Amino acid sequence: MDKLDRLGWTAAVCFVCHGLRIGVRANTPKVLDQLLELLPPGAKPARGRRVQRLYSVIAGGAKRGPGIRRFNMLYVDEVRLVRSTEWERVRTALEMDLQLYVAEFARRRVFVHAGVVGWRGRAIVIPGRSLSGKTTLVRALVDAGATYQSDEYAVLDSRGRVHPYVTKMSLRDSTRAQPEKVHPETLDWEVGVRPLPIGLVVVTSHRSGARWRPRRLSAGRAVMELLAHTVSARWQPERALATLRLAIANAKVIKGTRGEAEEIADALLSAAADGGERVAASAV
Amino acid sequence: MNPARTLMPLARTEELVVEQLPDETLVYDLKRHKAHCLNHTSSLVWQHCDGRTTTAQVARLLEEKWGLPRDERIVAFALERLRRARLLADGTHAPGDGISTSRRELVRKLAAVGGLTMLLPVITSLKSPLAAAQASTTTSAQCNLCIGVGLPCSDRPGKVCTANTPTQGKCRCV
Repeated sequence: MDKLDRLGWTAAVCFVCHGLRIGVRANTPKVLDQLLELLPPGAKPARGRRVQRLYSVIAGGAKRGPGIRRFNMLYVDEVRLVRSTEWERVRTALEMDLQLYVAEFARRRVFVHAGVVGWRGRAIVIPGRSLSGKTTLVRALVDAGATYQSDEYAVLDSRGRVHPYVTKMSLRDSTRAQPEKVHPETLDWEVGVRPLPIGLVVVTSHRSGARWRPRRLSAGRAVMELLAHTVSARWQPERALATLRLAIANAKVIKGTRGEAEEIADALLSAAADGGERVAASAV
Repeated sequence: MNPARTLMPLARTEELVVEQLPDETLVYDLKRHKAHCLNHTSSLVWQHCDGRTTTAQVARLLEEKWGLPRDERIVAFALERLRRARLLADGTHAPGDGISTSRRELVRKLAAVGGLTMLLPVITSLKSPLAAAQASTTTSAQCNLCIGVGLPCSDRPGKVCTANTPTQGKCRCV
């Protein structure tokens, strides 16, 4: 760390996010300004120099001559995370690592990898791995009238309520190799601002042509499904289990394979409104 | 069943986080990072793994509480599942040793007495995920460390981190 500290750092920022003190420093102020937009939701500037995690970013700059490669570097504390001539790789890795760090070690919140929308004062939570179709379903539900809460994490407090976590969405389509990053507010979506109790949890994956015939899960199985997508499951299993149990205490949890998202959006909103009974009944 | 061996074994208590639900029990194994969901019958059996209660008493409890036939094979079946999930203390004997406790046989028996197969002792287990597996994308560097298998690679467009094979040794983005 000493060697890294001796480099010429000209700009630094300290912020607090969900009880974690994090620092980012760069070799030029201009670079730091570019990085500030990558801070996770809920980050607030903080005073002081002591941090729990320090990111160090060196921008290599333009190529100066033949045979000279200017690397961009990203370090987490003293560990090098990225060494690349492509600046975008540093940005992506920093954004991803920041989000994961906060999600894993947040002091008073439990992060579940899930899409979330609000509907009539309750949240619909769609847990799932990447590429399971969360964003597509969130998009279909918002188009059907729901309020956007999150595309990445369901952030649960100690009472089991879901807080909004608004970041740029990764919209994938078959014509592009890389997903397009879009902020939900630029799509004129209604974005949630308050924490909501969970009304419905939808455990689903997409299969083309599949018929939506969900089944209800017991409370224990529901917690297991959410735990499978909980970032801090290994770090704080006790708190994760207790929070998840509270979160689903008054929620219906359904599981099934779905076809196209638009086909089930209305059914899910109806299910959320009447406590899941309609969807469950249709499954029988 | 040999009367001398009909005492219930001891439940494991160390390095476990237990969350009690109305009918089920959630158990997190801190040593193996595995979560288990015990349904109502296996939960009841596990709660009586105290080294004092007899299997016959537990069979009677299952009958009283859930209407199951009074059969110690059901208890033995649950104990076998608990043993496999490593939720019994090390070194304790399983009273079901030597007793046929096939799932198929029990399903047949429970179905014959009125469709009670839903009451079969069941333990659902889950390997707790690594935090990195909950990211939306991975990087080729993380993929090399076999973290983020199945996630799209952010620095190699169109590639996905794929699980290692014995010959390759490491995961890679393909």
